[in-house]
Amino acid sequence: MRHLNHAERLFYQSLRIRLVEERLIELYPEDKIQSPVHLSIGQEAVASGLCANLRSTDLLFATYRSHAFYLAKGGDLKQMMAELYGKQAGGCGGKAGSMHLAAPEVGFMGSSAVVASSIPHAVGAALAAKRLRKDQVIVAVFGDGATEEGVFHESLNFAAKHQLPVLLVCENNGLAVHSRQGARQAYDILELAKVYGLPVTRIEEGADDQEVFQKTKSIVARVRAASEPQFVEIKTVRYKEHVGPGEDWEAGYRSRDDLVRWQQLDPLVRRADWVDRFKDQIMQEIDAAVAFAEAAPWPEESELLTDVI
Amino acid sequence: MALTQEISPVMKATQRRVLTYRQALAAAMREALEVHPHVIIMGQGVDDHKGIFGTTLGLPEEFGSERVFDVPLAEEATTGIGVGAALNGLYPIQTHIRADFALLAMNQIVNLAAKYRYMFGGRFSVPMLIRMVVGRSWGQGAQHSQSLQSLFAHIPGLTVIMPSHPNSILDSYRHAIAQYPNPVISIEHRLMYDLQFDLDLHPAQPAAAPFGSRLVRRGDAVTIVATSIMVLEALRAADHLQEQAGIECEVIDLHCISHPDRQLVLASLAKTGRLVVADTSWKAFGVSAEVCRWVCESAPNLLRVPAITLGMAPAPCPTAKSLEDCFYPNLGTLADAVARLVTGRDDHGIALPTEVSMADVYKKFKGPF
Repeated sequence: MRHLNHAERLFYQSLRIRLVEERLIELYPEDKIQSPVHLSIGQEAVASGLCANLRSTDLLFATYRSHAFYLAKGGDLKQMMAELYGKQAGGCGGKAGSMHLAAPEVGFMGSSAVVASSIPHAVGAALAAKRLRKDQVIVAVFGDGATEEGVFHESLNFAAKHQLPVLLVCENNGLAVHSRQGARQAYDILELAKVYGLPVTRIEEGADDQEVFQKTKSIVARVRAASEPQFVEIKTVRYKEHVGPGEDWEAGYRSRDDLVRWQQLDPLVRRADWVDRFKDQIMQEIDAAVAFAEAAPWPEESELLTDVI
Repeated sequence: MALTQEISPVMKATQRRVLTYRQALAAAMREALEVHPHVIIMGQGVDDHKGIFGTTLGLPEEFGSERVFDVPLAEEATTGIGVGAALNGLYPIQTHIRADFALLAMNQIVNLAAKYRYMFGGRFSVPMLIRMVVGRSWGQGAQHSQSLQSLFAHIPGLTVIMPSHPNSILDSYRHAIAQYPNPVISIEHRLMYDLQFDLDLHPAQPAAAPFGSRLVRRGDAVTIVATSIMVLEALRAADHLQEQAGIECEVIDLHCISHPDRQLVLASLAKTGRLVVADTSWKAFGVSAEVCRWVCESAPNLLRVPAITLGMAPAPCPTAKSLEDCFYPNLGTLADAVARLVTGRDDHGIALPTEVSMADVYKKFKGPF
C-alpha cells in the first residue's frame, strides 16, 4: 500500500470492502456466518472517501450496515471475520456479530441495529470532546430512514444549540428496507437540517470515492477547526437486498435501471484495470482472515455472563 | 417539627446527626462536581430557580453552565447524548423530575445504555447516573406517580437502586460516580424529600457494598422486605406492632432492586419464617413477584406460612384523594398484613393505626409538584 498514491489507496480500500462482502456472499450458504448481514456493496465509496479524512482519534458511530465503515475507519479484518463467525477472536468476542461491530482502538465506536439510535451518541461524544478539549471530530452515520425518527430531530437541535464538533452524515440510498423515500417523507432532508441552522452539503457523486473524499475534506476540516456541526447528505445505491446476500431487483419496489445507472459511475466497475492490479493482494488478506475465523475457537460458556455489568 | 416526632424511629429530632433526603441529594450532587472534574449534570430545569426540588440549586453558579445545564424536552436524545458523553470521557448525571418521563427514553436506556458493554464484548463501558423522581399525592394522577423500578430492573445491564435514606444516597451516589463503570438508575421518592432522617439510626454501608441491601431493624416474628418509602412505613408498622402486641418485625431495605442481597433476606427468613414484601409499585411482575420467585426457587421451606405482598392497586393511579388513599398500601394495611401473618388469623384483634392517608403525614408541600 505504501507505494500507492492517494487515489490508488482510496480505490484499494473501496475494492477491499467490496471483495470482503462478496466473500461473505460466497460463504453465506455454508451457514457458518449465522448473523444477519446488511451489505454495503454499492455504498463503499461513501465510507472510504469520508474516512480518508478522519484520524484514528476521531470517533465514528454507525449503523447495522457498517462493514464498510468498520473497515474504512481502520478496523481489523481478521477480527471482523471472526466476529461474523461468532468466534472468541472476534472484535467483540462473538457477542456482536455483523450488526454491532466495534473497534474503539481506531475510533469505530459501535453500531446499533435500532435505526437512528446512535446519532445522539455522536452528539454526546462531541459534547465530551468539546468540554474536555479533545481535538476530535465526531461522526454520526445514518440512513435516509433515520431522518424520520424523532431522535434525529432531537439530536440535530442539541448539536446546533451547543455548537458541537459533530459531522452528521446521511448515507442516502433512498430506501428503508423496501420502502422508497418519496413514500415516507414530506420534507427534503437538507432543508430540514437547515431549520436547525446547520451548514449543509449534498454530495450527488456517492459512487465515487475520490469525489466523496474531496467534497468531505473541507467539511471535516471545518468541524475540526471551528468546532461546529456540519450536515452532509451523500447519495448512494444499495446493490443488494436490505438484509442477506441476495439481490432483489425484480421484487418490484425499485428498478434495475437504478443499478445500471449507478454502475456506470462506479469506479469498482469502470476501472477493471485497477481491480486486476489489486485483487490478488486483497484476496490473500481475505483468505487469511477467513482462515483465522475458521480456526478460532468458539466463546466459552463461561463468557455468557461476562460483561453484563 | 411535629412531623419528625410522629415518624419514629428514623426521624426523631434529637441531638443526633440529622439530614433531610433533599439535603443528602444536594450534598451528593455538589460533591460529585467538586471531586470529579468530568462530572456534568444535565436535565430539564437543573439550572432553574427550583433546581430539581432544591438538589441542584447553586450548582450552575458555582461550577458553571458548561457542567450544570438545562436540556431540551427531548428525553431520548438527551439520554443518548449522555451515553455518548460517557463513551468519550464524561460522567453524566441526568435527571427526570418525574420518572414517568423516562419512558420517553426507554430506547436509549434499554437498547443502548444497558447493552453497550455486553453487546460489544466488553469493549466499552457507560458510566452514568440517571435520577428519576417518583411523585405521589396531591393529585399526581396516572402519569406523574409511577414507580417503574421493575421495568428497569428487568433488563440485564442496568443497576437500579431506590434510596430510602440519606446514608443510602451518600454511599451509593459516591460509589456510582467514583467507581462504578455502568449505568445506574436511581429512583428517588418525592414524598421523602423534606423528611429529616437520623443518620445514626440507619447503617451506612461498607465501601465494598454501597449498593447492598440493608438490615434496618432486627426482629424475629416476620421479615418485611421493603423498597423506598415503604421502608419507612415498615419501620412505623414495626413500632406500632411492638407497642400493641409485642411483635418484633425484622425490616430489610432492599435498596438495590436489580441486584438485591438475597442472602440477607434468606438469613432473615431462616429466623422468622414469615415474609411480607412491601413495594411502591404494582405487585404483578414486580419486586414483590421477584422476591417471591427467588425465595420459592432457593428456599421455599423457609416459609412457614404463605407470603403476603403489598403494592399499588392494579389500576393506573387515580387523582381523587379518596381513591388515591385506597390505591396505595399504607401504615394500616401493612400493620394489618403483618398481624395477620404472625397470628395466622384475619381477626387478630390487634388495634391498627387509625391514620388513613400517608400523604397527610408525609406531605409538607402543596402543588404544583
